[in-house]
Amino acid sequence: MTETALLSVRDLRVAYRTGGGRMVEAVRGVDFDLYPEQTLALVGESGSGKSTLGLGLLRLLPRTGHITGGEVVYRGSDPEGTDVLRMEGSRLRRWRWSEVAMVFQGAMNAFNPVLKVGDQFADTMRAHLPRQRLGKAQVRERSAESLRAVRLEPGQVLDSYPHELSGGMRQRALIALALILEPRVLVLDEPTTALDLLTQRAIVDMLQELRAERGFSMIFISHDLALASELADRVATMYAGRIIESGTTPDLFRAPRHPYTVGLIRAVPPVRAGAVEPVSIPGAPPNLAQLPPGCSFAPRCGHATDACEATDPALRTVEARPAGQPSHEAACLHWESVRLDTAPAAAQDGTPNDAPAKEVAQ
Amino acid sequence: MSTTAPDVASVRTGERTTGIARRILRNYVVRRVFRSLFVIWVVTTVMFFMLRLLPGNPVDTYIATQMRAGGSYESAAATAAGLFTFDPSTPLIQQYGDYLWALLHGDLGNSLTGTTVVEKISSGLPWTLFSVGYALLIAIGVGLLLGVLMAYRRGGVLDHTVSVIGSVLHAIPNYLFAIILVVFGGVQLGLFDVADIRGTYTAGVEPELSFTFVSDAFYHASLPVTVYVLTTFGTWALVMKASTITTLEEDYVTVARARGLSDRRIGTQYVGRNAVLPMIAQIATQGSFVFGTAIFVELILKYDGISAELFAAINDRDYATVQGILLLMTFVVVFSNLLAELVNSALDPRIRESANGAGG
Repeated sequence: MTETALLSVRDLRVAYRTGGGRMVEAVRGVDFDLYPEQTLALVGESGSGKSTLGLGLLRLLPRTGHITGGEVVYRGSDPEGTDVLRMEGSRLRRWRWSEVAMVFQGAMNAFNPVLKVGDQFADTMRAHLPRQRLGKAQVRERSAESLRAVRLEPGQVLDSYPHELSGGMRQRALIALALILEPRVLVLDEPTTALDLLTQRAIVDMLQELRAERGFSMIFISHDLALASELADRVATMYAGRIIESGTTPDLFRAPRHPYTVGLIRAVPPVRAGAVEPVSIPGAPPNLAQLPPGCSFAPRCGHATDACEATDPALRTVEARPAGQPSHEAACLHWESVRLDTAPAAAQDGTPNDAPAKEVAQ
Repeated sequence: MSTTAPDVASVRTGERTTGIARRILRNYVVRRVFRSLFVIWVVTTVMFFMLRLLPGNPVDTYIATQMRAGGSYESAAATAAGLFTFDPSTPLIQQYGDYLWALLHGDLGNSLTGTTVVEKISSGLPWTLFSVGYALLIAIGVGLLLGVLMAYRRGGVLDHTVSVIGSVLHAIPNYLFAIILVVFGGVQLGLFDVADIRGTYTAGVEPELSFTFVSDAFYHASLPVTVYVLTTFGTWALVMKASTITTLEEDYVTVARARGLSDRRIGTQYVGRNAVLPMIAQIATQGSFVFGTAIFVELILKYDGISAELFAAINDRDYATVQGILLLMTFVVVFSNLLAELVNSALDPRIRESANGAGG
């Protein structure tokens, strides 16, 4: 593992313009570093800002979304790094997909319904490699190779229209398309959502394999903690547009120090029968337009005290590690007393709650 | 791995296919053509009987005209019997049978004045088709382009202007707009010479493929074309804008941007092509509508298309001519719908699939 981060995000802020001309911040100051050959999982509920963050990294926000501040530095071949937020026009266009590609949700129509899959592979290559004079045969050969890597039959898939493929095949094809230009970073936004469990399993295994083979970095956005724990080296929990806890995968799944992360883990039904019942987090995610003045999780938190409602805590170091290795940090005033097995809000049953953590993090 | 859709479809057709004839009948295009022919037959039949439900028949109408001119009933009736081949005493069902039989042989019959219906139609119809077709091309072209621009620059000056002007013009019936055009543009403002521009081409210009004739034809068609274009382009623009906005929000457009495709490629193959799909059915219906209402516009603007013939024929109860003209108009409408469906299926692979697989 090298020391310089491939992608550094500092204090990134994204806001959406709403009907009355007001701005609602969906991402409120996010920092993280992504190192080569590493996988960072962003976990959180719907509406926590994780998808917005993913789209913001590639500057693909919808019309109403704007990056209002912060810095995204990408260090690909250039060690100095380029500020993604300042890239414009064709430079930005070429940077996308060839350096950082994105795999979207399985339920999305990621492919143009009126073009054959093969044509969409060709489109992508031609948009990035115009000078290489890609011949038809070459384009097809490269597409086929990429499809074979995701265990699809190229002859069948390339000549099909997207609607002729099953959901799982489409998602594999999208991953093949994402890897065709050999990007260094792959952003995956809920790549296995809306797929059945066996297909999910197959896709996760395939991603592991491809990463080991090609050595790209991944940002894995998911609400599925089990998948995150399997794929990721590092995990960051997002809540109300902020990273509220981050650390290595064992840090977050074995010894979470933010009550929200604890709640997320306890909300996952255990895989093995006979283990503890899942416990949901009370309340609903906050309205981003009307955030409480203090900690945004305080209204739903069993640890909350008066101090929590007054101050919005910054990330505190739980366990410091040397540079290049992620420290365990949590944005909670009471992190010292938060334990996976002693979450007061939900621990009415009084059973020792170590079991679900092991299930998730094994 | 799960089975893909085409596999399922081919298995299904494979079971049902029993022979070449069956396979031809199952073909998408063939089935559409048969359906169109059926529609034409239904309309022809309904028209045949409706027309005969109108009070009076050619003979009565002729006698009435003669008597109004001062003749006696007997002499008028005698002349009518000699003039017309039409015999009102023939049973209706036999008339219908004769008509269909002749139609199957491509014979539209003879008009009351003795000329064949085909001759009558061929003098007016080309002008109507020319002016309406030319106007539709302009209106659709301009409208779709404006619609896309409006969608890309939502809330801009162009968006607001075209929205307002387009909806106002669309609300005015085209024949009323023709009157307004003549009264204000021709008479009051004197933008064009009403007497000179009427008709389909200037007397004395030879109808041939020469620059003089073609430019003269365009000059004379300019008034009806202006009316058709101005009263329809706004609709195209507004509908295309809505369609484009929906398409711009599709996931595959975001993914295409993520893939680093050029804006031009995204605009044509990803946004444009998908946005225009729902428009094609509309092009057919709207086109037929313009064609159908062209009659009034032509009458007002004194453009000698099919309208003058149709009007005179209805007044004289010239059954054969009315039937011939209406049949052709039906044919144009049905044919443009058929064309729209075929274009749609060529552009959208999903339509082909469902039509071939599910038989609907």
